[in-house]
Amino acid sequence: MPRLRVLLFATAREAVGQSELEVPYRRGQTLAEVLAEVVAAHPRLRPHLRHRLALDGEFLEQPASAVILSSQKEVAILPPFSGG
Amino acid sequence: MIPSALIRLTKSPIRPETYRKTLEDPGSGGVALFEGRVRDDPGHHATRLYYEAYSPLALRELERLSRQAATRFGARRIVIVHRLGHLRTGEIAVFIGVATAHRTKAFAACRFLIDELKRRVPIWKTREESRTKR
Repeated sequence: MPRLRVLLFATAREAVGQSELEVPYRRGQTLAEVLAEVVAAHPRLRPHLRHRLALDGEFLEQPASAVILSSQKEVAILPPFSGG
Repeated sequence: MIPSALIRLTKSPIRPETYRKTLEDPGSGGVALFEGRVRDDPGHHATRLYYEAYSPLALRELERLSRQAATRFGARRIVIVHRLGHLRTGEIAVFIGVATAHRTKAFAACRFLIDELKRRVPIWKTREESRTKR
């Protein structure tokens, strides 16, 4: 079963107390379904699911429900940026 | 035009003089520099910030910004260095340098890069100290 690394930054990292999680998935599941499983295990992450996402190192420009997982490795939850 | 861009995320203190040579260019008559520094925040004790980045995507987005600065403002040399890790008041969090043919575009390109960095690049700061009791 493939596994998806979930990278957490800033407020999302603080909410969970970890910078990274890992979740197994079945090919054909949507990203939204897998993220719902992550939130079920880490309820404090729920408010952070409205943030932007990046999938395998690129900004995700479509809703997570439209992404069918096949061999993706990494999703990042991106709270509003505050660099500079 | 593809500019010569030096883009870096670093855990070491930023020393702007390190990048003077990178910004040297016989065709550039204007060089604009910007330093973003950690400042004291009223109502807080001595400020300590933690900077983190989603590095692969941050670097890629900074590359895209550099190409846009070249296209829109004719930037010929670009340096963008962002610090990561724990920073204290007065330390440089970000350094941007741009060389262009004339001064107006150097200022404009520098402004564009810092504004778009803050808006588009996955870098975050979080405060590390407790609020002053009142």
